Amino acid sequence: MERKVSWPLYLTAFVISAIIFIAGIYVGTILDTAQVGSLSSDVNSLSRELSTVQVLMLSEEDPAFCPVYEEEFLKIDSEREKLGYELTYLEEQKNVNSPELKKDYFILEAQSYFLAKKLQEVCQDDSILVLYFYSNDDCPDCAQQGADILSARDASSKNVLIYSFDGDLGSAMAEGFMTQYNVTGYPSVVINGETHSSYISPEELSAEFSK
Amino acid sequence: MDLIQALNFAVAFFMVYMTVFFLLLFVKYRREYYTAPEWKGQTPFISIVVPAYNESGLIEKCLDSLLKLDYPRDKLEIIVVNDGSTDDTEAKARKYEPKGVKVFTKENGGKGAALNYGIKKATGEFVATMDADSHATPYVIKELVPYFDDPEVMAATPSIKISPNNSPIKEFQRIEYLMILFSRKLLSYIESVPVTPGPFSMFRKVVFDKVGMFDEDNLVEDQEIAMRIQAGHFKIRSSVEERATVYTDPPDNINDLLKQRVRWQRGGIRNYWKYRYLVKSEFGDYGMFFIPLNFATLTAFFIVLALLLNSFFTYSYYAQYIAVESVAMSVNVFTIVGVFALLMSLVWLYVAVSSFRTEKIKLKYLLLFMFFYWYLMMSYNILMAAAEIRGAKKTW
Repeated sequence: MERKVSWPLYLTAFVISAIIFIAGIYVGTILDTAQVGSLSSDVNSLSRELSTVQVLMLSEEDPAFCPVYEEEFLKIDSEREKLGYELTYLEEQKNVNSPELKKDYFILEAQSYFLAKKLQEVCQDDSILVLYFYSNDDCPDCAQQGADILSARDASSKNVLIYSFDGDLGSAMAEGFMTQYNVTGYPSVVINGETHSSYISPEELSAEFSK
Repeated sequence: MDLIQALNFAVAFFMVYMTVFFLLLFVKYRREYYTAPEWKGQTPFISIVVPAYNESGLIEKCLDSLLKLDYPRDKLEIIVVNDGSTDDTEAKARKYEPKGVKVFTKENGGKGAALNYGIKKATGEFVATMDADSHATPYVIKELVPYFDDPEVMAATPSIKISPNNSPIKEFQRIEYLMILFSRKLLSYIESVPVTPGPFSMFRKVVFDKVGMFDEDNLVEDQEIAMRIQAGHFKIRSSVEERATVYTDPPDNINDLLKQRVRWQRGGIRNYWKYRYLVKSEFGDYGMFFIPLNFATLTAFFIVLALLLNSFFTYSYYAQYIAVESVAMSVNVFTIVGVFALLMSLVWLYVAVSSFRTEKIKLKYLLLFMFFYWYLMMSYNILMAAAEIRGAKKTW
């Protein structure tokens, strides 16, 4: 018996599968775009909230209002931090890159950082401020450094506020900080204004966070 | 696109493609699926060879069913080959000698050797092989004989099923057997029947001269001989008719089940590798589609396993802070395609099971089969790899 290959059948199955697959990709892309849009709107909304606290602090620096400022600030900053994780998740796990959104987020971080510094100044807030500079391109220690900072933060009894910046993104805000704190390589960590230009172990971080 | 993403895409596309392909095959041949050649009074001489090793508990049921076959008794020869059983299989079989059953005892040598021994003793124009733990419905021979009107058909297989029962593990296998039967029938339309199943298969005796006897040193000799029949450009036909059913007794616990599946899978992959030279257009769909499909399925399984392990080990440290959000955010093209493939698999399962109009299966077993048993059974690939590395030996 002469055997034949059912090419038309395979081809039809291929075309149908391709249509299904392309439809899946299309819907997936729509969802990704919607997620970026939603995060972008969250960034704007938090930025507005931070600006409000900033303006209030500028208009009234009376320490008597500090509990209100601190409470409001910490609430907004915790939202800001969560937004950062979501942004990283989107970038790392789903390969959805939105440099503009990231830059907006860095501005939000800077806003929050300056406000935190103002709180330290006006309200004698003892929060520890950490600027963490990383690179997605050529930094084998960065992922570990990020994880170590978070676990040291979780173990610390003090309030540690972390602001992460991708130094290779071309963000003016990140570059400004890097110049200000003399950051030249990755990972680099600035703890309460003091620059550490290489990987810091969890023990060293814990020691820094308990100062 | 990085490697991980490319692998995700490849596996997702493969899943969709396979489901679409088999559904298309069914749509194309749905009319033929529900028709079978009618028996027109042909009564060729048939030998039924029953190899048996320690089948004391079930051999009587098997032989009783053969004696009740709706076929002229003088055209039927029943041969039991006792392969050195250590229980009273032989004694039980010999009780049937007065009814014309021929019983031979040989030293234990494995199922393939027992089958070959029986086939050499067989005098029929056709030889049916039957596992001693199975029993047939009366019409099975009359159902299969008409397929051989086509001189190129060298083997035919009946519906092989599991009787309904209350054991979940057996019910899962019952569904699985229906799916296998459904697939085998569809594959017969593209000349790619992969196996002449041990529980019951009928051969034109001359095929053993053309392609050789059963491989006596093979983990799945019933699949290996089917491969040689396909390699010889002969046809194998598959029946799904209710009236021609052979019921087999499946493993009743997970251990035995996994052992059986690991043997099937190990033997199967070894055979596909041995016959990889069939991957040529001259062997039609069997060579260009079916054999590569088996390698592709195995590869896809291990890729999925690797991807799962990778995502487990590269679990982002920050994800714990956005547990709920990350679940919502993880919806992507693979989730969508995966859900679609799952839905199509459900359709496939429904079409397969409902094509057997008399088979009634509880919904809970269907759902558990789809969402639990299917994935559990895939784990035999891991056990297979372990057995291969360990070099586990072949047994009955």
